[in-house]
Amino acid sequence: MTPDKKKTPWMKRVLWSVFVLVVIAAGIYWYVASEKFADTNDREAVYTVNALDFIREFHESDSAANAKYRDKIITVNGTVSAVEPADSATMNIKFVDTTTGSYVIFAFQEQHVAEAKTIKEGDLVSIKGSCSGGTYSEILGVEKIDFKRSALNKTK
Amino acid sequence: MKKTILALALVAVTGSLFAQKKTTTSATVAFDASTAIDNLPKAENKTVVAALDPKTGSVAFEATVKNFAFANPTIQQHFNGEKWLDSDKFPSFIFKGNIIDPAKVDFTKDGSYNTNVEGSLSIKGVEQKVKAPATIVVKAGAISATSNFSIKLTDFGISGAPIDAGKVSKEPKVTVSADFK
Repeated sequence: MTPDKKKTPWMKRVLWSVFVLVVIAAGIYWYVASEKFADTNDREAVYTVNALDFIREFHESDSAANAKYRDKIITVNGTVSAVEPADSATMNIKFVDTTTGSYVIFAFQEQHVAEAKTIKEGDLVSIKGSCSGGTYSEILGVEKIDFKRSALNKTK
Repeated sequence: MKKTILALALVAVTGSLFAQKKTTTSATVAFDASTAIDNLPKAENKTVVAALDPKTGSVAFEATVKNFAFANPTIQQHFNGEKWLDSDKFPSFIFKGNIIDPAKVDFTKDGSYNTNVEGSLSIKGVEQKVKAPATIVVKAGAISATSNFSIKLTDFGISGAPIDAGKVSKEPKVTVSADFK
């Protein structure tokens, strides 16, 4: 005589399979939906550069510089040229090459906005962020390089 | 005599300020394509270049597509991917337009002015005419502007299964705000 548990109807197996698939899909969705960017301070920079050299590299060839730096974590060291409020809550930091007007600008990660507000024009700083690449601004007639999710690396 | 010179100097300074094109490199563009079933597709770019010419009423902005910061890494990756904004190939959103009724905005006088802006918006290499309401605030010589409008993704050749499934809005809301120098 065959034991009862070996007599599982095919429909029951199909339902269990569907249930398992739904649980796996929900798990994957939950994982993707709850995923967050890591704190930039905890990420290792691929390159560490001097602000003016970095801007000049983009100014000379933004396609070559974009291929090298875009979508990577970069640490940029330099003297702050300007501090600009983007809105009432946040502050952007800029390094400008005064010979060409080209610049690099950093928007800060939410948890690092407070430290950005302590930075003043003329400060020597080190900023780490996610490089979004350089583009030529038709409005300003200069090369601009954007960073997002930045953090103050350390005061040099 | 001194008073006359002072008055003339004041008029000249006011006139030159009025004539100058105002710019900023820290304007903000927020993009919200979230829906009732997915609140992830929304992002903000805080390093947008914007310009306003009080004399002609021309307005413009340039936003680097890759500098839109999303909370979720996967959504950001999809947003920049070839099927969506293809930001490696089309690195900027560009708007060039004009205030429709510039005479109604007095850039020399403090106040809040409701107006309309019309122009051409380029996304993913596709240019479309856009008309949007805007509010311009003049306070102590400083000018700020905000505008809220929606775009149809299909107008810019953007489509896909997440839109059909209702996970991405067909008509995302766009908010532009700029404090000009």
